[in-house]
Amino acid sequence: MQCANMLLRKIVRSSVLPFAAHHGMKKDLFPLSRTLSLSLCLKQDKSCEPSEKLDLDEWKKVMKSGLQEEVSEMVLEPKELSGLAAARETLEMWRLAGRAVPENISEEQLKTFMQCPSKSAKKKYLKYLHLKELHKKNDKRKMDEKRERRLEAQSQASNTDETKKSSFVCLWSSTMDKAYNWRAAQSMIFGQPLVFDMSYEKEMSVREVTNTVRQIVLSESCNRRSVDPFHIHFCNFKDDSLYHREFIKHYREAWGKLLITVTDQCYTEIFPKDKLIYLTADSPKVMKTFDHNKIYIVGSMVDKSIKTGVSLARAKRLGLETAALPLEKYLLWSTGAKNLTLDQMMHILLTLKDTADWKKALEFVPKRKYCGFVNKPVKELKKTLDLVNTLKLGKGREEIEKQFAKNHPKKYKIK
Amino acid sequence: VQPPEKPLQGEEWNKLREDFQLPEKFEELMLNGMISCNSPIDVAKSLLTYLAKRNGDIAYSVLVKYLRLCVQQGQVSEIRDVYDIMKVRFKILESGAYNLLIKGLSNSDQWRMALTLLEEVKKIMVPSRTCYESCIKAANRHQEMKLAFELYNEMLAKDLVPTLDILQSFFNFSRGMKGAELQKELFGILLYLRENQIYPHKTFMRSIKLWFESIPGGNWRGHLTNIKDSGQCPVCKHQLEDSNLTEEEYSNLSERIIRDVIHGTDTFRKTSPKELEAFQTFVENRLPFDIVIDGLNVSHIKSRRMQCENLFDAVNCLGKENARLLVLGRKHMLMNTANWKREIMEEMQKKADFFFAENISEDDAFLLYATLRSGKHCRFVTRDFLRDHKACLSDSLTRHLFRKWQRGHQMVFSSVFSQQPAFRYDCVVQTTGDTWHIPYKDVFEEKYSYQVPRKWLCIQQK
Repeated sequence: MQCANMLLRKIVRSSVLPFAAHHGMKKDLFPLSRTLSLSLCLKQDKSCEPSEKLDLDEWKKVMKSGLQEEVSEMVLEPKELSGLAAARETLEMWRLAGRAVPENISEEQLKTFMQCPSKSAKKKYLKYLHLKELHKKNDKRKMDEKRERRLEAQSQASNTDETKKSSFVCLWSSTMDKAYNWRAAQSMIFGQPLVFDMSYEKEMSVREVTNTVRQIVLSESCNRRSVDPFHIHFCNFKDDSLYHREFIKHYREAWGKLLITVTDQCYTEIFPKDKLIYLTADSPKVMKTFDHNKIYIVGSMVDKSIKTGVSLARAKRLGLETAALPLEKYLLWSTGAKNLTLDQMMHILLTLKDTADWKKALEFVPKRKYCGFVNKPVKELKKTLDLVNTLKLGKGREEIEKQFAKNHPKKYKIK
Repeated sequence: VQPPEKPLQGEEWNKLREDFQLPEKFEELMLNGMISCNSPIDVAKSLLTYLAKRNGDIAYSVLVKYLRLCVQQGQVSEIRDVYDIMKVRFKILESGAYNLLIKGLSNSDQWRMALTLLEEVKKIMVPSRTCYESCIKAANRHQEMKLAFELYNEMLAKDLVPTLDILQSFFNFSRGMKGAELQKELFGILLYLRENQIYPHKTFMRSIKLWFESIPGGNWRGHLTNIKDSGQCPVCKHQLEDSNLTEEEYSNLSERIIRDVIHGTDTFRKTSPKELEAFQTFVENRLPFDIVIDGLNVSHIKSRRMQCENLFDAVNCLGKENARLLVLGRKHMLMNTANWKREIMEEMQKKADFFFAENISEDDAFLLYATLRSGKHCRFVTRDFLRDHKACLSDSLTRHLFRKWQRGHQMVFSSVFSQQPAFRYDCVVQTTGDTWHIPYKDVFEEKYSYQVPRKWLCIQQK
C-alpha cells in the first residue's frame, strides 16, 4: 500500500502525463485508488511538505478518478431520457445548481409541472412547492420540539403528583362546540341570511379556487363562534364542482353536518329581489349603514389578476342593488386593492351587525392597507387642509388648486 | 468578498474559510467574488483543488460558477475540461451550464462543438434564445450563412424571439457576399422587422446600410433622413405607405374591438346589452362622423377652468370646418352641477351629437366603436393611451393593427389647444422593390412603446 501510494503520487503530480495513459495505468495497477484514498494520501502529503509548489489541475484528477467505472458504463450506454424521468432529472440538476426547487416531488406534481405553459410558470410553480416544503419541514421541527418539551414537563409533573380540584369537568372544547352549534342551529331558523355566490369557478384558476375555499372555511368558523351568527347560504353551488371537492378536502366528513344552507339555486330564486344587496368593491354606491332586513351577497372569488367589474356585472345582469364598503370615508387609504378577503368581509359584517360601529368593524381591514382612521370624509378633510394652508402660507387659492390637480388623477371616473 | 490575488495553498484556504462568517457558503461566495473581480483563473483553480482535497468532490453549483469565470475569460481548454468532468458526473446538465458552455465554446475555434451541445440541449428542453444567439453568431462569424439561417428559422419555429444582436450579425457578416438566396433571406429579416413593428437601433441600422451598399453589382445607396409630415421622403421623393388600414384589416379590427373590448367575457362588465344596442342604433342613424371626442377626457385639459368650458372650447375649435362631431360622455354631465352648467351643455348639443352612457359604463369602448364605424377618415380625440383596451385584444396581430390605426387616427390636445396631427404615413420598415425605408431608433433603449422613431434610413437602387 505504501509503495502503491508513492507511485500514485508520482503519477498524479506529473501533470505532463496525458490523462488517457493515467487512466489506463491506474485502472490496471491500483484498483484500490478511489477518490477517498487518493485525497487522503494527498492530504497527508501536504502536511509533510507545506512549501511544495501548487498543482492547480489536481482537482480535475480528483473529480475524474472517482468515476472511472461509471464512465465506461456511461460511454457504452448513453441513456435516452424521456418524459417524467427527464423532468425529474432536470429538477435534480436545478436543485444542485441552487435554484428554488423542492427536494421531493410527487408524480402528480411533476405532471402539473410539465403542463405549465411557460418557463416562468414552471419556475413559479417550483418555487411554490419549494416554499411549501420548507414550511412543512419547519412545522414538523416545531412540533417535535413541542412534543419533547411536553414530555419533559409531564415527567416533571409526575414527580410532583398533585391533583387539582375544580367544580367543572374539563371538557372545554366539546362543550364549546355544542354551544356554538346550538347558536348556529338557531341562526338557521331565525338568523339573518348571508349569501356566498359560488358562481365564479370559471373566472378563477385552480389556485384561486383553493384560496377561496380556505377563506370561506375561515369565515364559516368565525361566524359559528360569533354571538349572533348569520344564516350562511352557498348559492349557485354545483355538486362535484371544484369548490365542492376543495370543501370536502377541508371539512372531510363534517361537510355533511355543517349548519349552513347549500343550494344550486340562485339567490334570486330564494329571496325577493328588492331585499338583496350585492357587495362589491366596484359598486358606485357606498354602504352607509348595515341593514338588518336586507340580505347581503358576497362573491366567492379570489381575484389575483385584478379582473375589475366581474361581480358588478353579475349584479347588473340580475338587476340587483349593489354596495361597497365606505373604506374611503373612514380610512386614509395608502396601498393595496380595495377588495378584501372573504374572512375579513365576514368579520366586518359580523361586527357591524352586532355594534353598528364602522370604526370597530373596519379594524379588520389589514393595517398595511391604510394609514389611519379619519373622522371626517377625506374630501372635507382636504378642504380644511387647503384652507389652513391658505391662511398659514398666504398662498393663492389658484396655486393650491393647481397642486391639487397635479396630485390627483386627471380623468374623472365614478367608481 | 475580496478574493486573494494569488493562488493559495490548502492551509491558507482553510484559514480563510474558518475566518469566514458562513463557512457553508464560503466557496460559492468566494467564487462569486472572483467572477465580479475577474480574478486570475489560477486563483479559482487553487480553490477548487483545496475543495477537491477536502471533500473528495466538488458541488455542481461550484463547478458552474467556475465555468462562468472560464467563459468570462475565454479559457477554452478549461471549458472543455469542465464539460468533460460534468458529463462524467451527471446524466444531464441544466440550462445554466449549457448556456455557459455554448457561449464559451462558440467564441472559440471550437465553435462547432457548441453546435453539438445545442443538439444535446434540444433533446431535453427548448434551448434558450441566448444559446441560439451564440450559435448563430458563431456560424455567421465563420461565414456559414446557410447554417446560421437554418438555426434562425428553427428558433422562430420554436416561438423564440430573436435578439436584435442575432439579426444584426446576419447583416454584419454577409457584407460583400453574393448570392440571390442570401439576399432573399436577409430581405426576409427586414420583413420580420416590418411584421413585428421592430425598429432597429442606430448601429443595427448602420449594419443594414453597409450591407446594402456592399452588395456586388447592386448599386444600392443609403441616406439618413427625416420624413416630412406629408409622408414624402426628401431623398428619393417617394411617398411612404399611408397609415390607413386595408378594408380587410379595418373590418377585422372593428369586429375584434366589439368582440374583445366591448363584449369581452361579459357584456355587463363594461356596459349592458341594452345600452350597447341603444348606442349602436344611435350611431347607425347618424353616421358618418368626422371626429369623435372623449368628452370627459377633454374636459380635464385645463384644471383651472370649469370642465364644461374646456369641452365647449374643444367642440368650437374642432367644429370650425363643419366637421361632424360626436361627443361621448356620461349621464352625470347632465346633472347641472358646478362643473357642468346646463346652459353650456345645451349650447354644445346644438353643435355636436352627444351620447351619454351610464355612469358606471366605460365610454372609451364606445369611442373606439363609433370611430371605426364612421370609416377611415374619422379621427378621435383623447389623451388616453388606450393601453387597457389594447390589452383586451386577444392576439398580437390585432394589437399591432390597433396600434397602427391608433397612430393614424388619434388626435391629442395639449393645454393650449394646438392640435397634434395624427400620422399620415405608416411608421414601419417598407419597400417598393427598388427602395427601402427603414425607421430607426436613435438610442438603443427607447422607453415608450407609443413613441415612434422620426428618423429614417432611405435606401434606393440606382
